Amino acid sequence: MSDVTTPPAVLRLDAVSKSFGSNRAVRGVSLSIQPGQVIGLIGENGAGKSTLLKILSGNYRHDEGTIAVNGREVQFRGPADALRAGIGVVHQEQSLFTNLTIAENIEVNTPIGRGGVNRLGLYNWRRLYADAAQALDLIGSHLNPKTRVSDLSFVDRQMVEIARAIRVSAASHTTPLVILDEPTAILERTETAILEREISKLRDIGSVIFVSHRLDEVMRICDRVVVMRDGELIADRSVDDVTEEELFRLMVGRETHAAVRNRRSIEPATKPVISIQDLTRAGSYTDVSIDAYPGRVLAILGTSGSGREAVARAIFGAEGFDSGSVSIAGYSGRPSIKKAVALGVGYVPAERKTEGMVGEMPADQNITLTHPGSAAIGPFELPRRRLSLARLWFEKLDIRPREPEHMLQDFSGGNQQKVVLAKWLNSSDLKALVLDHPLRGLDPGAAETVNAQIRSVCDDGTAIILIPDTIDEALDIADDIVVMRDGRISGVFDLGHDNPATLDLLERML
Amino acid sequence: MVHNALSKQSAVGIDTTAIRIRESVIERRARFRGLAEPLSLLMALAVLIVVFSLLNERFLTTSNFQNVLTQSAIPLIVAVGATLVILLGSIDLSVEGVMGATGMTWILLSANSRGGVDLGPWAWVIALGVALVLGVASGLIFTALKVPSFIVTLGMWYVGLGIATMLYGTDLLPRLEDEGLKGWTSRISFGLPNSFWVALLVIGLGILVLRSTRIGRVTLAIGNSETIVRSAGLPAFRVKVAVFAIAALLSGLGGILATVQLDIGSPTVGSGVLFIVIPAVVIGGTHLGGGKGGILRTVLGVFLLTILNNGLILSGVESSYQSAVTGAILVAAIVFAAWSQRDRLRVAK
Ligand SMILES: Nc1ncnc2c1ncn2[C@@H]1O[C@H](COP(=O)(O)OP(=O)(O)OP(=O)(O)O)[C@@H](O)[C@H]1O
Ligand SMILES: [Mg+2]
Repeated sequence: MSDVTTPPAVLRLDAVSKSFGSNRAVRGVSLSIQPGQVIGLIGENGAGKSTLLKILSGNYRHDEGTIAVNGREVQFRGPADALRAGIGVVHQEQSLFTNLTIAENIEVNTPIGRGGVNRLGLYNWRRLYADAAQALDLIGSHLNPKTRVSDLSFVDRQMVEIARAIRVSAASHTTPLVILDEPTAILERTETAILEREISKLRDIGSVIFVSHRLDEVMRICDRVVVMRDGELIADRSVDDVTEEELFRLMVGRETHAAVRNRRSIEPATKPVISIQDLTRAGSYTDVSIDAYPGRVLAILGTSGSGREAVARAIFGAEGFDSGSVSIAGYSGRPSIKKAVALGVGYVPAERKTEGMVGEMPADQNITLTHPGSAAIGPFELPRRRLSLARLWFEKLDIRPREPEHMLQDFSGGNQQKVVLAKWLNSSDLKALVLDHPLRGLDPGAAETVNAQIRSVCDDGTAIILIPDTIDEALDIADDIVVMRDGRISGVFDLGHDNPATLDLLERML
Repeated sequence: MVHNALSKQSAVGIDTTAIRIRESVIERRARFRGLAEPLSLLMALAVLIVVFSLLNERFLTTSNFQNVLTQSAIPLIVAVGATLVILLGSIDLSVEGVMGATGMTWILLSANSRGGVDLGPWAWVIALGVALVLGVASGLIFTALKVPSFIVTLGMWYVGLGIATMLYGTDLLPRLEDEGLKGWTSRISFGLPNSFWVALLVIGLGILVLRSTRIGRVTLAIGNSETIVRSAGLPAFRVKVAVFAIAALLSGLGGILATVQLDIGSPTVGSGVLFIVIPAVVIGGTHLGGGKGGILRTVLGVFLLTILNNGLILSGVESSYQSAVTGAILVAAIVFAAWSQRDRLRVAK
């Protein structure tokens, strides 16, 4: 794949492999990246993208193959070595110190005796702030370096991570290489656009490897796209020679077959499963009234300041409210999570790692955690039944690898999400399901699988309340759409008879 | 959904001013939050002082003021180390054991009633060396063997006490002979007790280390997330051991000063200090989970507890009630501190 006439590649991989036990996560990957290139890395959940990137960041050691940075072969013994070689990484998991300032996070790897850290190891704060401001300026951000990271929105946190990655790269006095593992997955679409613009600009100062499941995004930002499947690199294309449909087929190994939903209006006689009236929480949302009906998907659209997540959490009892009422299947007393679960409500949180799963527990136990279903006889859970029940869900949702006895934290992000979903689907009497960004981090094929599953429980009579990532996702699957802006409802559509355009919805959001 | 042509539309025309305005509000709110907590502590202090001075006229006198400062000096010194350890997200329970071992070592190597050797300044070096060894041992066992700091330092407490008791033996009480040192801690220089000057120096150094050195900053980072510290290639191991060593050194210093103050060597010179120091750190607002807090807040916490004890004694409250009151205040303070961050999905561990 190398080209002799060009300058040495910023990065060259030769037959790099890495296994976890018997699971060969990365198999013989060869790749070379030229200065000023933006490479899109795509692949299904569990294809090995993060593993490959973690090899490059020194977090994992590869079993076979060689890595060369700027023409020199390297051996990383730890993250510090990769940093020294000038590889800056923004990991899939948020990796900023939220209790520290922006400046410190960016300058965290400044060696003693350089920049804002003097030879005695003492910090010169003024210098540190100035250097950080400069790094931010480089990517066109005007954040105040003295701000604490916990006070930042998600886009801005990503910007800080990128600034840090570039700073690391620049310190090596070579062409910076910045690696971004799904930086847009947790962002709203409006925020993504800002980030996209900045990533495109990086081309002028260095090279970029960019991972995303949003193919349109990849097509817009990148020069070249490489596709991974089952740990192997199976395609390497210029974006000019490839279409989104083709990329989808390469990734998933089949055509897309998103079914068009047959929509009906709400029938006059049906009673809502969940009905919220004039719900208000100071500083978050005001006078929100929403009805969710059995057998219908209700999507709530809005930007990050709209308060839609808080409303969803209030329905599940995960957050309090000041006034108004939430009634679930006729019950409208004091809401609590326990009560909500008892009444047959499920909730897939956006913060999967902290609220949705127990990472140190095997996947099968995570599935039977709330509703043991057929895995239990009375209060006793039978391990063997639990395992076979879990296998069923693994099959149905195509969770990979098919090893439900493994710790959930060792699964790839997308597959963890499917396990969380299975936990609620395992209920025999699911009346309503609240889904907060359920497709976050899922590859397009997996998104189809999950959407199909959501539709099927919905058709069985469950009411779905969905906080989608994108407007398209809402138009794709919803029967009703509620739009929120600044804590108030700014639009209600019954897709049975309304046909709102994307711009129409966008206008009500902003 | 992948092939939906509409998706391109959302990339155009975003109004970022709204986002910026929201951010400036967030920033202002954050600044206020930073002030609010110490302010409520200062207010609590003020209330205590007013109440006690109304209850007893001896409370608001220069001599009682100096008395309070002397009483707070040793807890302050030890609390600086404890704050650093708690900022890591760990805890150091070995304080009293280290104080005992260091204090005994020091007095037996200085001029004392048992005779023996008088090493002068070397007694300080060797005694603090004992503290350092205990601290590094805790730190290494904790970091290398990954035993919870709670358990390691609980053990080290008793190791320290054991060493102190062995040194104590069955001989006469070792009494301080050096006339210049006797009563040194409570003697007044430039208006303040000597031991309080030492405490001020330690607090100053502590703040410098925490604010402006790699050790201090990495300590805060570890308290936030050790996984991230490691993947950022920062020296988590070294810093953790160093912080335990610093904490033990400060406990040792406290042990020597306590021995000077008591005039005699005793394995239990430190008794009661742990139960001032840890609550003071927590009342000050440093999170037990690590990563958030600071030394000045701890200083306020120590003052709050010392003034409370002092005021209760002056008001004639029995000592058995005193500990109950201190305990109740601790619990109330923690509930108060946690109240603002309550959220039903948050769990306490
Ligand atoms: N620490 C680990 N221990 C064991 N297996 C692991 C570990 N990390 C990853 N794996 C396995 O390696 C494979 C590749 O995972 P990886 O996280 O690289 O996927 P990915 O392409 O990043 O997926 P996603 O899009 O979901 O983030 C998966 O089968 C996963 O289960
Ligand atoms: Mg990944």
